[in-house]
Amino acid sequence: MSGATGTARREPFHAAVTGVGLVTAAGVGVARTWETLHAARGTAAVDHPELAGLPVDFACSVPDFDPGALIERKQLWRLDRSSQLVLVAAHEALADSGLDRDAWDATRVGVVLGNGIGGAATWEKQHTVLLERGPRRVSPLLVPMLSPNMCAGYVSMMFGARGPSFVTATACASGTTATGVARELLRSGLCDVVVTGGTEAPLVPSLVTGFSQMGALAARREDLAETSRPFDADRGGFVPAEGAGVLVLERPEHARARGARVRAMVSGYGASADAHHATAPDPDGIGAELALRAALTDAGVGADEVDHVNAHGTATQLNDATEARMIRRVLGEGPAVTSVKGVVGHSLAAAGAIEAVVTALTVESGHIPPTANLESLDPELEVDMVHKAGRRAAVEVAVSNSFGFGGQNAVLVLTRA
Amino acid sequence: MSDTYQRLVDLLAGSFGLDAADITPDSTLGGLELDSLALVELSVASQEEFGVELDDSEVDLGSTIAHAAGVISGKLTAV
Repeated sequence: MSGATGTARREPFHAAVTGVGLVTAAGVGVARTWETLHAARGTAAVDHPELAGLPVDFACSVPDFDPGALIERKQLWRLDRSSQLVLVAAHEALADSGLDRDAWDATRVGVVLGNGIGGAATWEKQHTVLLERGPRRVSPLLVPMLSPNMCAGYVSMMFGARGPSFVTATACASGTTATGVARELLRSGLCDVVVTGGTEAPLVPSLVTGFSQMGALAARREDLAETSRPFDADRGGFVPAEGAGVLVLERPEHARARGARVRAMVSGYGASADAHHATAPDPDGIGAELALRAALTDAGVGADEVDHVNAHGTATQLNDATEARMIRRVLGEGPAVTSVKGVVGHSLAAAGAIEAVVTALTVESGHIPPTANLESLDPELEVDMVHKAGRRAAVEVAVSNSFGFGGQNAVLVLTRA
Repeated sequence: MSDTYQRLVDLLAGSFGLDAADITPDSTLGGLELDSLALVELSVASQEEFGVELDDSEVDLGSTIAHAAGVISGKLTAV
């Protein structure tokens, strides 16, 4: 475990979170997700017609998603749902930030988004067209709609942002990786503003069935809303979800100079690899621990200073057990732990971005949302879970964990502005 | 205007997000903000709607809607 702190200590750097936007299964807009999280209301439902007849036919999908109000109709048909989701979230985040696009230096505005799968629905649909109707019927938009990088490209186009624009892919850690890398662009001085976050629209028959065949998904419960059960003794896997989360990060002096309201700071980032197995976490959580310790070192905070953990908490047997033990080992029994996935499910590459937004709001408000459907805490998991009701607490230092397939781990430290 | 013209306008409004009120016989495809990819998509959609392909030697971004409808009609007659 030598070198467990991962990164050499550098000067502290606090990226200002000045705007946030969310599109989740709880609805469009940050307020709807925040309210639903605090009500601990699960969103899993049978409302995705494409999944009908499959072993897992339920999911957490965005209700009443109508991007037409924000995206021109003549552009809309050219965009896969994964891009549509994040464009709507980015629109909210930019408005929330109060940034004036006419006043910013566009060459210093970057876009870094997490995405894992790209335009899954487009690919499935066009593949069917190819097989059933032949090559002359395949859409010429197939490639720009399915490429995973296009979500970031479209956000750059929407805002005329001419700085670096790219996507990070670390599976279920992608949104967290993106946010950490976005902060590095600010820290290095390459950008003044980075629009970051993540998006995923994976609710298509082949993918959902693939996850089901892996045994990663929760089995249907009589009340579907109770199916996603992070850290519960009776948990049985995750519920697949779609969604997008966006944060506007700024160099602190840039935010200060324009008098921006700063919701929280992204003060640390750590990343690591399990180097163990394609899909199973290292049973000892060594990779996850490396990422967490690296993030704490980067933020210059001690393990005993962490007040709150927004856990990866997927509700799979393996993740939650390994993660809880790792939290207890590194951070002790102090921090109050929650997982949003009981409410909004697991949106893969978007999950870390959604959770970074929620963690920023938790730090800002001092109001920790509860873990939905956690009725009977697994007795082997000795952490202080927030469940049944939210908890008010002064949250000076919070951690947001994300662990991806491939053993790719990313952890953020957020602090009070 | 011909039935083909109206069906083409409906296609552009329904599948390409255009406002039917913005489309006149003299509108060009480029003027309606279609680009080269959208032109190929229009040929794909034309196969679905009319059963005919549009070749870019016959219909390009400078073509008017009336011209495109005429090309489609001509191919339909020829079938």
